[in-house]
Amino acid sequence: MVPQTSTLTYVVDHRIFDKDVIQKCFYWYTGDYHVHFSIIDDKHHHIMLQAKSGEVINEESLRVRIANDLNDYQLRAIVAKETSTIRELIIAKAFANFDDEEINHRYEISDPVGFNPIA
Amino acid sequence: MIDLPTIPSKKINRKFRDLKAYSQEGIYNLLPFKFIQLNDTRELIVNEVGDFLIVDSGTTKRIILKEVNKELDSELYGDLIANFFITEDKIPYLLDIIATRYRTKKSFLDNFTALHIFVISLRCEHTCHYCQVSRVSEDKDSFDMQKTHIKKGIEIMMQSPNPHVTMEFQGGEALLAFDNIKYGVEEAELAAALNNKQITFVICTNLAPVTREILAYCKEKNIIISTSLDGPAFIHNQNRHKKGNDSYELAIKGIELCREILGNDGVSALTTTSILSLSYPNQIVQEYINRGFNSIFLRPISPFGFATRGASKNKYNTDLFLNYYKTALDKIIQHNLDGHFFREDYASIILKKILSPFPIGYVDLQSPAGMINNVIVFNYDGKIYASDEARMLAEMKDFTFQLGHLDDPNYNEIFYGQKAMEFTSAGINESLPGCSDCALQTYCGADPVLNHTTQGNLIGHRPTNVFCQKNMGIIKHLFLLMDTDPKIVKVFQSWIRN
Repeated sequence: MVPQTSTLTYVVDHRIFDKDVIQKCFYWYTGDYHVHFSIIDDKHHHIMLQAKSGEVINEESLRVRIANDLNDYQLRAIVAKETSTIRELIIAKAFANFDDEEINHRYEISDPVGFNPIA
Repeated sequence: MIDLPTIPSKKINRKFRDLKAYSQEGIYNLLPFKFIQLNDTRELIVNEVGDFLIVDSGTTKRIILKEVNKELDSELYGDLIANFFITEDKIPYLLDIIATRYRTKKSFLDNFTALHIFVISLRCEHTCHYCQVSRVSEDKDSFDMQKTHIKKGIEIMMQSPNPHVTMEFQGGEALLAFDNIKYGVEEAELAAALNNKQITFVICTNLAPVTREILAYCKEKNIIISTSLDGPAFIHNQNRHKKGNDSYELAIKGIELCREILGNDGVSALTTTSILSLSYPNQIVQEYINRGFNSIFLRPISPFGFATRGASKNKYNTDLFLNYYKTALDKIIQHNLDGHFFREDYASIILKKILSPFPIGYVDLQSPAGMINNVIVFNYDGKIYASDEARMLAEMKDFTFQLGHLDDPNYNEIFYGQKAMEFTSAGINESLPGCSDCALQTYCGADPVLNHTTQGNLIGHRPTNVFCQKNMGIIKHLFLLMDTDPKIVKVFQSWIRN
């Protein structure tokens, strides 16, 4: 029988989940839990969650929730990494000063019937 | 059986290349977007400019892992391309369009401060238990704003780069100092003409002291009346204590008089939700319908002023407010589906951000936060505050958000000084912990004053933050409603058109 407790320990392999991902994920647990991080070895993080209310933790459902949240934050990290340059470009262009005349119209409209609307 | 002549399966055209020539099967690049689980089966993805898709759970993972197939998932693939979630080019062809739309979303910053609140008097004849600005008794003239301060406030208002400014008179009960209001309106009209500005006047009042003469003046000067109606008499009178227990009767009489003299659009009303209100969402909505309003603004008590002192009465759980809000919203939607136009204003503000490319000038749902860059408050005693909530906090002896004084005002110091910079940097949800990855970021805002008041610092702690819980609860609910029934989408669209 699993002992009932208000504390849960979780080990995360940071070869799978980046440190930023782990921290962003567990930030959302700090409302209900005291969250303690420690490093076990060069591959693993140890996270201890302690219920602030002192209530017994439903370990099974909490582990499922953590696993889902870690996966979601890993996906967010992938998007952030792949799109950071585009995002900077969008914001830089959005707030850049420009005149209408300086906008470079580089649209190529196909012209299969010999009619070019921008000619 | 007749053999039909064979038709070649592919027509070869010298002019057009085959469709497959344009296909890069399985290869696409991500554009910036965020996602959030709406419930067990549906998730929401939102791009950098607020376009959204609601998809089945697990879809976001497939998108990010590049598992969406152009042929097999053609509809989803097309939606993702059309809504700027993915691109087949390294740099999207329409990058300039995305940037322009981002700029449009932030265009509320272009003109800087519009709303200038003048707390014309702190006197009030009501003794509401949740009063957010520590009222004093009716006979204390020392709690009226001095004319010199009104004039200085107008001078500052005229320095705003915004060509359209709003001068809003608040209290206490603003109409108890009507002479001051008249002085302010006339001075401001002269100054606006000199500075080539358009000016809108608003008086916030409980309408108890209103008279025909006052409203005749309001009509002459195009002054808008904003009042409070908390629901039917048994709720309104309980919330708004007054000698004679006739606050509701006076408010209703005042509303009718306003409509008679100013027209139906000359008066609007707001609700303030107390613990008592939470049990009566349907009755409150019905009261607004019965009184001929075509909208209602369901807002909770903010935790300032007296609201924090009556802890047992006012510190209700955000979940209770959300349940109240959702019940009231259901009734409002049903009323619309029955063929009547009636709008909930808080939802409409959020829906405009969701369903249109444009921002909305509502200070509580902006990033950077609306304090200072959209609103400034001149208090009755001449002190200048960053927002209405900031002056409420000052009544509790916390002057953190005081930016200066009308005795010696310096525009640059007030609006661009060290304090203003500090507050603004704490009010950008794109960079706040918990908000920076949130899919609802574009539709939400930031509130450093609330964070400071409830959590002791400007940044705040999102997992326990009432602003976050309230807005996340409401925004997710609106998306789920739209996902449930296309007829509700039509209702919502009518709200943002009107």
